[in-house]
Amino acid sequence: MSLYRQGKVPGSFYDGYGQEAVSAGAAFAMAPEDRLCILHRDLAAHIIRGVTPARILSQYMGRAAGITRGRDGNVHFGDRRLGCVGMVSMLPDMMLVATGMAMAFKLRGERRCALTWFGDGSTSRGDFHEAMNWAGVQKLPVVFVLENNQYAYSTPLDKQFAVDPIERAAAYGFTGVTVDGNDPEAMFEATLAARRRAVEGDGPTLIEAVTMRMHGHAAHDDMKYVPKEQVEEWRRRDPVERQERRLRELDVDVDALRAEVAAEIEAAATEALAGPMPTADDVLDGVFATEAEPLGDGQAPWSGYAKAAAAGGDA
Amino acid sequence: MATLTYLQAISAALRDELRADERVLVMGEDIGVFGGAFKVTDGFVAEFGNDRVMDTPLAESAIIGCAIGAAVVGMRPVCEMQFADFISCGFDQLVNVAGKMHYRQDLAVPITVRLPSGGGFSGGPFHSQNPEALFMHSPGIKVVAPSTAEDAKGLLHAAIRDPNPVCFMEHKHLYRRIKGEVPDEIYETPFTARVARPGSDLVVIAYGAMVEVALQATADLDGASVEVLDLRSLVPLDEAAILDSVARCSKVVIVDEANMTCAAGAQVAALIAEKGFEDLDGPVVRVATPDVPIPFSPPLEQAVLPGVDRVKEACRDLLAY
Amino acid sequence: MTSSRTETLVDVTMPQMGVSVAEGTVVGWRVGVGEAIGAEQTICDISTDKIDTEVPAPVSGVVAEILVEVDQTVEVGTVMARIAVEGDAAPNGDRAPAAPAAEPEPAAAAESAPAADSAPAEDAAPAAAADPAPAAESAPARAHAPGRRYSPVVARIAAEHGIDLSTVEGTGRGGRVRKQDVLAVVNGTGNGHAGGAVEDPPLHIESPYRPDPPAPARAQVGAGGEASGVVTGGATLPRMRRVIGERMKQSLDTAATCTTWIEVDMSRVEAARAKLGVTALAFVARATIDALREHPALNAWLNGEDYARHEFVNLGIAVSLGEDGLIVPVIHNAHELSVEGLAARIKDIARRARARELSADDVLGGTFTITNPGQYGSIMATPIINQPQVGILDLEAVIKRPVVVTDQDGNDSIAIRPMTILGLSWDHRALDGALSAQFLATVKRRLETLPV
Repeated sequence: MSLYRQGKVPGSFYDGYGQEAVSAGAAFAMAPEDRLCILHRDLAAHIIRGVTPARILSQYMGRAAGITRGRDGNVHFGDRRLGCVGMVSMLPDMMLVATGMAMAFKLRGERRCALTWFGDGSTSRGDFHEAMNWAGVQKLPVVFVLENNQYAYSTPLDKQFAVDPIERAAAYGFTGVTVDGNDPEAMFEATLAARRRAVEGDGPTLIEAVTMRMHGHAAHDDMKYVPKEQVEEWRRRDPVERQERRLRELDVDVDALRAEVAAEIEAAATEALAGPMPTADDVLDGVFATEAEPLGDGQAPWSGYAKAAAAGGDA
Repeated sequence: MATLTYLQAISAALRDELRADERVLVMGEDIGVFGGAFKVTDGFVAEFGNDRVMDTPLAESAIIGCAIGAAVVGMRPVCEMQFADFISCGFDQLVNVAGKMHYRQDLAVPITVRLPSGGGFSGGPFHSQNPEALFMHSPGIKVVAPSTAEDAKGLLHAAIRDPNPVCFMEHKHLYRRIKGEVPDEIYETPFTARVARPGSDLVVIAYGAMVEVALQATADLDGASVEVLDLRSLVPLDEAAILDSVARCSKVVIVDEANMTCAAGAQVAALIAEKGFEDLDGPVVRVATPDVPIPFSPPLEQAVLPGVDRVKEACRDLLAY
Repeated sequence: MTSSRTETLVDVTMPQMGVSVAEGTVVGWRVGVGEAIGAEQTICDISTDKIDTEVPAPVSGVVAEILVEVDQTVEVGTVMARIAVEGDAAPNGDRAPAAPAAEPEPAAAAESAPAADSAPAEDAAPAAAADPAPAAESAPARAHAPGRRYSPVVARIAAEHGIDLSTVEGTGRGGRVRKQDVLAVVNGTGNGHAGGAVEDPPLHIESPYRPDPPAPARAQVGAGGEASGVVTGGATLPRMRRVIGERMKQSLDTAATCTTWIEVDMSRVEAARAKLGVTALAFVARATIDALREHPALNAWLNGEDYARHEFVNLGIAVSLGEDGLIVPVIHNAHELSVEGLAARIKDIARRARARELSADDVLGGTFTITNPGQYGSIMATPIINQPQVGILDLEAVIKRPVVVTDQDGNDSIAIRPMTILGLSWDHRALDGALSAQFLATVKRRLETLPV
């Protein structure tokens, strides 16, 4: 954000401030061979898959070292080698892509799942229905994470749907669970359970992660339409602060951790700022592929899934 | 070699691909048990099973979107819009997700979208469209349109093997009316144009069902030597072949079954005006369907679709110019 | 709009139309002071003793001054007008848009409305010859001939092969030159027609009649004079008409003019011209040249006491300029040309005559003249000799008639043949009737025995 205010970030700037647990917790439950469709509030998922902060910052600043080399902006990226599919702006288009990936896994008899995030607003569009329906009909190994952050831009929930989407999971023939979106561990557990369900062949799960968008829709949005009390209430439930409290209880040196992370970010920013802007020499290239390489596996050294599995959870 | 109808050639290509490559799957509405609205996949389920010959829900956006998902994890889906007209329901997925994915994310989307297109049989406004120009206009999507049985098979093989999204415009009015010699083996027709008949006084440029119309209209035209160029591939467009025909013939009539404004022919005309100017001996003429929804009743439909007479007249006029 | 900028003034001077011409008369101005004009657009029409012609503007600009009035005669070299040119005006920059652009005019090619009269002697009412050729305003930028446009490929092929497009017959719409037409010239296959009926738009002087194409409502925009063709009382004839009239009178006063006629069966000519794609006139011209070589008494000059016969033949061909009169450009050394060569030269001089592009030397030195008014059905005429020549041949309509033909065994029958009557006016001071008849017989024989 500070780089944005310094004018180093072209275009709009979107963040998932206050929603971090939704993506962090869920992504942690994914195995390297699973595939993710990551949305604009879910930066943590990219990091958990192994995308470095320096590359992320380069991406936001439109630099050549960004994951899309300047061809798409802010969080519209996905490192295909790490099994992430970069999003499009039309929402929830990626729900269908995730459904398709799951379809292929099932066709081939693989014990893997696909996961996608989407927001409360996008449940109003047709692709939500088509994906939920298709996944339910074919009983596909897909996890749908609905990030209910109370607002779609300026549109509150009561203007968005008459029935809470979580109730509609049953209408499509599969399980729906509501989870505290600001509790990363709760997110992790719920997603892990959903994953298990998926790879066992029991079909999709809709996880409604209840959270709050603490910043505007984007940096250009001052959120005036949100009642201050609502903001205050959710501030008290900030996921990062809550997790910090937990860690302190476990005697983790949170301050050292923070300092380490801050240093890493600082270094990343420096590296990113030093990187060049892309040249237009190859702006016309790459519209068409010359070969088709499928998505690769996640590479992050830490995946909660691996630990949970080792702890006797799943095969 | 066998003599196959255009439709049989398409079936043959699909069958060969399903046999040769386990990554290939065919998906669409009513294509499995029912064998497809036009019977293209008749008998396929028996050989390949329900998984690979998938009866989908009635959800065009999902058909394309799920095809994309399957493709990025290593499959080669061939999805079908029951009528090309319905691509409008899947436009978003095709144009925004599939078309732009590789450019942005370096992630290839090897899907093939079969689009039974075209009119001439009282299909009415929603079963007769030729929407290819919409996808020529969207970066990242290839578009091919065979006019013969041989090309139908070869182009479909090539489309399925192409690592990019490819719209395969199969003209439904050609399904059973066109027959030809088709090689038995798997072969890939290149995405280039083909000289259907060589000539020197004038060239008619066409694709799809209009190739046959062009050939008939100019077979015996006052002794003139008329070339017919079958574009076959709209994206990529075979500029070299087009300009070569223009250089030799100097007079051009472009025939488009699609609605005239911004149809494929408009792009061909612009290309010729820009790069073939020095070789022109007359204006570039277009014979196309006017900008109306395709009407249902036969006299109305025949009045708007380019037929042999209209093409003949345009050629005569231009020859005399 | 331009007054505040720096300008250069460029002079437009009276040109010299022929070595001996010393002066010229301004007949009409095409633009007025303050009007824009493009380089090479006609700025005024002039008349001289030798020839009437148009004066092109040397540059593009705005007419700043007109110094010579209509009907004023000035010496060669006199500044007639001045054109104001902006500092860096490019020559092609401000071309005034062509007026009646319409179809790319085939100009000289669409000799669609042949003038009724052409033979000097004829007093037939001049039909308003809506001769489209002088409408030079429709000249687009690079026209080889005023009013003609060429497609890029035609221009390119012509440039590659050094072909003067103004000589190429156009068979496209409105007489437009098509790619096939210029290619035919390149390949030497005549003007684009491999056999079949000759489709040349007729010069007025040719036999095969062609109906006028629907005349477009093309105004004769400032065509060197009034276009309507109606002479109201109280006016004078145009200068050229007056000069022609004087010459005709002079000829009749000088020579002892007689006329002899002969009938000719044109069957072989018709067949041969279809094959070659040329006009009957070309055949008659060639036959005439051969006959002149056999009977050199007809190929001579008689100037008072001076009499000279020539071995060379400079053949004059009378060309109608419609309302404006008549001119006789000359094909020098015509005896060296074949039928095809003659056809091409005839076409060329006719076109240039109508386009007022003849030089003074083009009309000098003729030793014999042929006149051919076109096929309106008139069968005979009494042409006036072109001084100082001693003979002039008239070719009228070719009309199918029943004639008696005798076969080898001496049996007579009736056949239908295309017939024409050639008329020879000759000067009795220089020769007799017998010689004239022999001359005509030679011409007839050559035409009737063309190889099939």
